[in-house]
Amino acid sequence: MSFAGLFGGFSDVAALIARMLPPDFYQLSGIISATIETLWMALLGTTIAVLISFPLSFGAAKNTTPNKFVFALCRGIITMTRAIPDLIFAAIFVRAFGIGPLAGILALGLHSIGMIGKMFADALENADAMPREASVSTGASKWQAIFASILPQATPTMIGTSLYRLDINVRASAVLGLVGAGGIGFIIQSALRSLDYPSALAAVSVIFIVILAIEFFSSKVRASILGERSASVVVVRSQSERSIRRTGRDRTLLVDAVTMRSLVPPLTSDRKSRIISVWVYVIMLAIALGTINMPIFSSFGYFDDAWRIVAQLVPPDFTTARSELITGMSESLAIAFISTTLGLFIAIPLGLLSSRNIVVRKMVFVGTRSMLVVFRGIPELIIAVLFVSAMGLGPVPGTLALTLVTAFFMSKLIADTFEEVDPSPREAIFATGATRIQELFGSVLPQAMPALVSQILYMLDVNLRSSTVLGIVGGGGIGFLLLGSIRVFEFGTTGAVVFSIFVVVYAIELVGSWVRGVLDKAN
Amino acid sequence: MSLNRFDQEADPIVRLSDISKRFPNGTLALDKVSLEIPRGQLLCLIGLSGSGKSTLLRHVNGLHKPTSGSVDVMGMRVSEAANKDLREVRRHVGFVFQQFGLINRATCLENVLSGALGRLNWPRYGVRSYPKQLRRLAFDHLDRVGLADQAYQRADTLSGGQMQRVAIARSLMQEPQMLLADEPVASLDPESSGQVLELLLKIATEENMTVICTLHQVELALGWAHRIVGLRAGKVVLDRSAIGLDQRDVMDVYQRVDVTGAPTSDEDVPTSISNS
Ligand SMILES: Nc1ncnc2c1ncn2[C@@H]1O[C@H](COP(=O)(O)OP(=O)(O)OP(=O)(O)O)[C@@H](O)[C@H]1O
Ligand SMILES: [Mg+2]
Repeated sequence: MSFAGLFGGFSDVAALIARMLPPDFYQLSGIISATIETLWMALLGTTIAVLISFPLSFGAAKNTTPNKFVFALCRGIITMTRAIPDLIFAAIFVRAFGIGPLAGILALGLHSIGMIGKMFADALENADAMPREASVSTGASKWQAIFASILPQATPTMIGTSLYRLDINVRASAVLGLVGAGGIGFIIQSALRSLDYPSALAAVSVIFIVILAIEFFSSKVRASILGERSASVVVVRSQSERSIRRTGRDRTLLVDAVTMRSLVPPLTSDRKSRIISVWVYVIMLAIALGTINMPIFSSFGYFDDAWRIVAQLVPPDFTTARSELITGMSESLAIAFISTTLGLFIAIPLGLLSSRNIVVRKMVFVGTRSMLVVFRGIPELIIAVLFVSAMGLGPVPGTLALTLVTAFFMSKLIADTFEEVDPSPREAIFATGATRIQELFGSVLPQAMPALVSQILYMLDVNLRSSTVLGIVGGGGIGFLLLGSIRVFEFGTTGAVVFSIFVVVYAIELVGSWVRGVLDKAN
Repeated sequence: MSLNRFDQEADPIVRLSDISKRFPNGTLALDKVSLEIPRGQLLCLIGLSGSGKSTLLRHVNGLHKPTSGSVDVMGMRVSEAANKDLREVRRHVGFVFQQFGLINRATCLENVLSGALGRLNWPRYGVRSYPKQLRRLAFDHLDRVGLADQAYQRADTLSGGQMQRVAIARSLMQEPQMLLADEPVASLDPESSGQVLELLLKIATEENMTVICTLHQVELALGWAHRIVGLRAGKVVLDRSAIGLDQRDVMDVYQRVDVTGAPTSDEDVPTSISNS
């Protein structure tokens, strides 16, 4: 990989984009139905993950787990599923369950347990212990006390996490089609393969808009369900107030004394929106289940075949493809390190430009911020696919794609960090007659440094996960060997690849949290 | 073991025999405490901060197990009881905490309903998961503490005094034979603390409940209690009928023996005593 090659890549991409324009929507109906399938996949995958994570989290939270063994087991499952990227699950499941959305749904379901399970367990652990002790003192059993006093404290976080994950999964399911696991990724892939670039761009832009729209809606829904200020208050109206009415702003529900004593809770605006949300969800779930053809329901023997394939992953076979395994893994690591570094160089100026306390002109930071928001909407593998089609197979397009994604993400993190910098030392430095640049290096950067370091570590962690799947779309790294081994039915090697990815990702995560711990102590 | 059979009518309702408690960190919180509490007695437990009052209360409903000695409540050897038996005892023993122990995000009604869990079989979640007649009962108890009009308000929107009244209603929901109250009014302002304590003790007297209450307000203790027990450094240093007891006798409890052996007044002495 040469730097000249890296920068030459951008002109190839520019040429590709020129060939894509203008987008051609002749396949629109196909694109729309694939987009809808993508959404249903995300919904079903998230639902599966939540259903599994919920019981799992009680085993994985210190204050609710039955014993140490269950604790270790549940935490282990959570760590495993988080470390193995969804696209890798998808590639394996496509072989096991056949091409189609089912493989994608299961992949999303499994991988999402990693995040959802962890967040759920943390929410349970963070619950105040006092109400539980009070419950136990009334003679409640362990699980009665947990449901009555720990769970209500955790539910807002649980709902928020699930919605947030749904968001992430819409984005993720858009690319699962690249390995044949259903959704719009499939259309993008085949359009690119048949060199039908305008049609590929049409599909990309549709899913891009849908992703942004979903993100917008889900953040609105999350805010309305979870916002502490939105909690309605029910108050008995005084004599002077004539009838049931709501005061607009503070969402107070005034009821008469009789209504207050009804055995069924009164309909506050919170309850109403909660009931509506549940119904919307149930209806969407029903439609999703009706629309997506899942052979799992039609034949049970089918499950047997699938299981046989999954079972062949163990024991992992490290010998057959030993050298490919080593080169693939080191290539993935190299891609992750290089793209994190290059991305950081782009992200720092972008981050400075989009923080309001550093750039004085409003136009500049608002403009940069909005541009970044838009670019972050594009799933990274779509960018990778574009780069691979423009430049051919290999690690260079993969690295470039990850570099761009890193830049978009890091610049937001950096901007947020800069905006949190304490202004008083800055004023002190300005008072000495320093220039803006001197002040930047003298006070802003040193203050932001610990946060920056932990963000870089986080980004490295994310990029390592991504670099292991880049190979699946031809972007270099170990993913290539994974896909190859699945194609030629060498599932022992597949198992070895999955195992190595798990070990490396987990190791980086441990190193990262260790460094963050050291940094925290230093402060 | 006939002793180990639950007996609602047992008298004395509580028997502590020579209990000592040493925490894993080495603190000796209770030092050979023995007490017998007859049914229907209202006992106030007083003593300096750290003298072991909370620890003693927690032994009575089995939240703590003694290092040595035995605790019998309603005929059940709580200090050795299995979980199932402990629950049986706890069902009949209400516990009111200084910090209330309410579920902040839940409504008052739901908090009160949770007091009935010991009588129910499955975990519950939300007001609607409780049977209707229990909901009706919960309203009655809220009425009794004067909060029926706040039934559907979230617990964290209430004042401290109201919160403690909800906690009292939750204890009533248990229909307890005995009430343990650990500084029930210590986190309230003077005015509401008077009201809440009066309410608590009035209900307990009406229901003929046995009460063990730790308190810092000595006049209140003297006004309501049948019996005063003072703890100092984990030992019982005062155990007298409240009749004929005056504040001077009680003050001794709040004194510490310093290194020279001479009793000295401590800065922890409640203001109500140093003023009088
Ligand atoms: N869980 C525990 N682990 C270790 N030591 C404890 C624990 N609980 C209490 N102690 C210690 O036991 C002693 C008695 O504590 P306790 O809480 O019973 O005192 P108290 O009389 O209730 O005081 P206060 O009036 O401040 O509530 C104290 O020295 C305390 O530090
Ligand atoms: Mg105490």
